[in-house]
Amino acid sequence: MEVLASGSGVYRTPDPDGHREWVRTHKAREMKSKVMTEKEAVEKFVSDGDYLGYDLNMHKRGPTALFREIVRQKKKDLWVAVRFSGLDPAILIAGGCVSRIDVGWFIQSGTCSKAIEEGKVKTTEWSNSAVVYRQLAGAMGLPFLPLRYLGGSDAFKHSGAKLVKDPFTGQEICLVPALNLDVALVHVYQCDEYGNARIFGAGLSPMETSTCAKKLIISTEEIISNEAIRRQPGLTTIPYYLVDAVVHLPFGTYPGCMPGLYGTDAGHTAELFIADHGGTMDAYLEKWVYGVESNADMLEKLVGANKLVELMKMETIKEGYQA
Amino acid sequence: MSNKINFTETEHLLCATANLIEENKAYWVAIGGPPLMSLLLARAVHAPNVFYVVEDGTVSPQPPAYVAFLSGASGSASYRALAWKDMNTMGFHCALGYYDYGILDCLQVDMYGNINSSFVGGDYEHPKRRFGGPGGANEIASMCWRTIIMTEHEKRKFPKRVEFISSPGYLDGSPQARERAGLPRGTGPYRVVSDKAIFGFDEETRRMKLLAVAPWTTADEVMQDMDFEPLVAESLETVSPPTEEQLAILRGQIDPEGRIVAQGKWIEF
Repeated sequence: MEVLASGSGVYRTPDPDGHREWVRTHKAREMKSKVMTEKEAVEKFVSDGDYLGYDLNMHKRGPTALFREIVRQKKKDLWVAVRFSGLDPAILIAGGCVSRIDVGWFIQSGTCSKAIEEGKVKTTEWSNSAVVYRQLAGAMGLPFLPLRYLGGSDAFKHSGAKLVKDPFTGQEICLVPALNLDVALVHVYQCDEYGNARIFGAGLSPMETSTCAKKLIISTEEIISNEAIRRQPGLTTIPYYLVDAVVHLPFGTYPGCMPGLYGTDAGHTAELFIADHGGTMDAYLEKWVYGVESNADMLEKLVGANKLVELMKMETIKEGYQA
Repeated sequence: MSNKINFTETEHLLCATANLIEENKAYWVAIGGPPLMSLLLARAVHAPNVFYVVEDGTVSPQPPAYVAFLSGASGSASYRALAWKDMNTMGFHCALGYYDYGILDCLQVDMYGNINSSFVGGDYEHPKRRFGGPGGANEIASMCWRTIIMTEHEKRKFPKRVEFISSPGYLDGSPQARERAGLPRGTGPYRVVSDKAIFGFDEETRRMKLLAVAPWTTADEVMQDMDFEPLVAESLETVSPPTEEQLAILRGQIDPEGRIVAQGKWIEF
């Protein structure tokens, strides 16, 4: 296949067979309980230097509590697949956890922009869809996939994509390398102790992100019985054998919203935006991350039951978010 | 009693974009802010059956109008959708040609309709001011049949060439430049709407072409606030100003707190 142009961006060389071997030796087919605390899950499954990805973002059904745990454990040198993000990369970058990001898109963030401008965080340019499409290739066990966007732009030039001559039609077509994450974080509505998990609502890339990763940590609002899973198998988004850890984290996306369950804590979110733009993320992390032991501890000490009830009452639209 | 009405430049931009939106077409709109505000405005006023998707996979919802401001972070944005899918599914359907129009806003747009949303100043490795990146705009601008781009009308918003093409317009303007980059045939930027004018693109040269000017300004004034000289249509049209019905919906339903519509200078017309 004739390569017409190559992006100069840094990417990890796809290794489909290496991934298969990892799956063969590391992923449990046994139906065993994977329930553990967020501390245990992050200690066990997030390593310094890992390539990290996640579904959605900290403002809506994202794994926000797991981000805080990663910061609390001072993980280092992560390469983060950032697409359709909110201030989640800002939290991880402010915590000193990140050395490189893939740029699909990040929300206007003082922390992210400054880290890139100062060269503390390196970037490879893609687009939102290109990042999750690369995860789709990874989830299919393929080394690459062709796509009808990205080509022609300077994003292409600073990505890891290639423009080739399609051997079937002779037309130009862009290819992107598969992305198999080291570790993926996905926050779900319900799952059983083995990891059979349900997501309701529009999802960004729950299937691709869960499936392409070597290690998958699920955090869940609710743990339900395996019997409940078997009664409505059509609702299972993620089957257990993809999952390495199940962490029961009610309000796990706080201060973001979990559609149908609870709304956004606007006060906390404003505090975070002010810290991000005002350069006071250290104080924010001290209060919300280092100053508490866990998500439950944070909710009890800093948020309180009255606020949580208020957030639940706010979320008046329930249709579609219940089994 | 005066028959004049007052509105902001932003309100005019939103209404002028809404007026381009056609009933029974499919739109892929940027997930929050002005593009979605214009679409919901068009739905409320003249195009009740217009279909739209956003990149998180929400297929043509009927949300409360005020979610347009930050719809990516709200469950309400997906209310009463036809389907809840995912980002790649939106990409597949766009690649197949189902989405007639994309609507985007941008940091900068150049004479060939190329969009920058990545950085200004310096170079890629050492940007002076870094912004959020291509986001979902690259796929929208690449694969929708026609792309509508919204921008404030300022010189720095209309550079001759953008410093970085985050999302493709007609690239260098050469024939089949998009096809040679692997993009689908017959696609590209269709209109650029600013708070002062509406532009199209010349079929031959692919250069931006001034089509219509707001009634309180002139073509000369429009071009003074651009870093390049656009082509000018033989007969210039006048952009319709907002109607009272549009303003009532914008202010009463879509942006009652004035977080976006209050931006820009006030016009009395």
